[in-house]
Amino acid sequence: MMIPTGEATIGPFFPPRYVDAGANDLTLFEGHKAKGEVIEIRGRVMQEDGTALENLIVEIWQADAAGIFRHPADPRHAQADPDFLGWGRAATDAQGNYLFRTIRPGAPEGRAPHVNVMVMFSGLMRILKTTMFFDNGTDPVLLAVPVSRRELLVAKKKQGYCEFNIRLRGENETPFFDD
Amino acid sequence: MLSIPMPIIIQPRDERTQPARIVAGYPQTPLRNPQEPLVRRSPTLSELTGPLEVAGRVRLLGGDIAGHGAKQAIGQLIHLKVRVLDEDGAPVGGTVVEMWQANAAGRYIHPNDDDHAPPDPNFYGAARLVTDERGMFELRTVKPGAYPVPTRDGWWRPPHVHFSLFGKVWLSRLVTQMYFPGEPLNAQDRILNAVPDAAARESLVARYVPPVGDPYNALVFEHQIVLRGRTATPAQP
Repeated sequence: MMIPTGEATIGPFFPPRYVDAGANDLTLFEGHKAKGEVIEIRGRVMQEDGTALENLIVEIWQADAAGIFRHPADPRHAQADPDFLGWGRAATDAQGNYLFRTIRPGAPEGRAPHVNVMVMFSGLMRILKTTMFFDNGTDPVLLAVPVSRRELLVAKKKQGYCEFNIRLRGENETPFFDD
Repeated sequence: MLSIPMPIIIQPRDERTQPARIVAGYPQTPLRNPQEPLVRRSPTLSELTGPLEVAGRVRLLGGDIAGHGAKQAIGQLIHLKVRVLDEDGAPVGGTVVEMWQANAAGRYIHPNDDDHAPPDPNFYGAARLVTDERGMFELRTVKPGAYPVPTRDGWWRPPHVHFSLFGKVWLSRLVTQMYFPGEPLNAQDRILNAVPDAAARESLVARYVPPVGDPYNALVFEHQIVLRGRTATPAQP
């Protein structure tokens, strides 16, 4: 059994070209349109003192409109939308804002609809992992979070988009998972 | 597409093999790392799947980044041979690896880098590759220089190379740094030494391979990266 390699911060010099044009748009894959309702997820990422963080990397992973993951571990993966990868990457702008265009995920077996979120940044010695939900409902991952903090994982419904702000530390700190 | 025996199991890591989240003398760490306890969850299919076709979404960049002829980068030419394995020791082939580093003078091509050291017009310092079926990738580059951290209190980063890898599932995603053997700055680096366990720190340092004549003009270093995840043994009926 091998010991997993130690993590390290992504640092301040992650090449801007690694945030490829269109990498934050999951609705298109290899030139084809994914099935389902197109949604936007927007949010602001802040540190303890409320300062917005620029050039922070956000990545997401989610099921397709039918709740299927494009991965052989999903028993239904043969039925996955061929035009949906389910992964995207965005960098925050000078105001700390990120944006994804994606498809509203369906409910995977035993789970409520959700989007897995990862944050990488200078000063984060390890990747921070969280999960965005659309409703404060019944879901094993959401229920693992203390009840008083669950609402922080639920995206706010705004006109034309879902808002998911990420507070790395301090007041209304986003719950992160220890995997 | 990466073909893999399923399913993948992810077990908690030994904390001593992973860096502290808040590091003395690294002023951003106490502002950006959670103060609430992290929430334990049992991984579900969602975390035990992940993007296997990132190469279809991003632009790959070749692994020969030292340049040639009149466009050759300044610095000590090196050849890195890196093997990517899972916790079973099985090769992780077909996965995207992103690499970036400073030039020989310790300067990155990035708007965040100041002008403490000269840029090299022949060196951008980034490669994006896919591992082969043996889990291997190779890079022809120059040895990165050390550079001072803006804390201006004597902390210099030792020569190092950054890697970002995807692996088989969401929880196998890894961002790490590789160091060079015998560098005096390794002993005082606040990022490398944030990992408590000595053997785990040592595994972040590449191995120097004595020259054998091929390639005749580059020093060879070997390195191994272990991604999280084991293949589940099917239950016996």
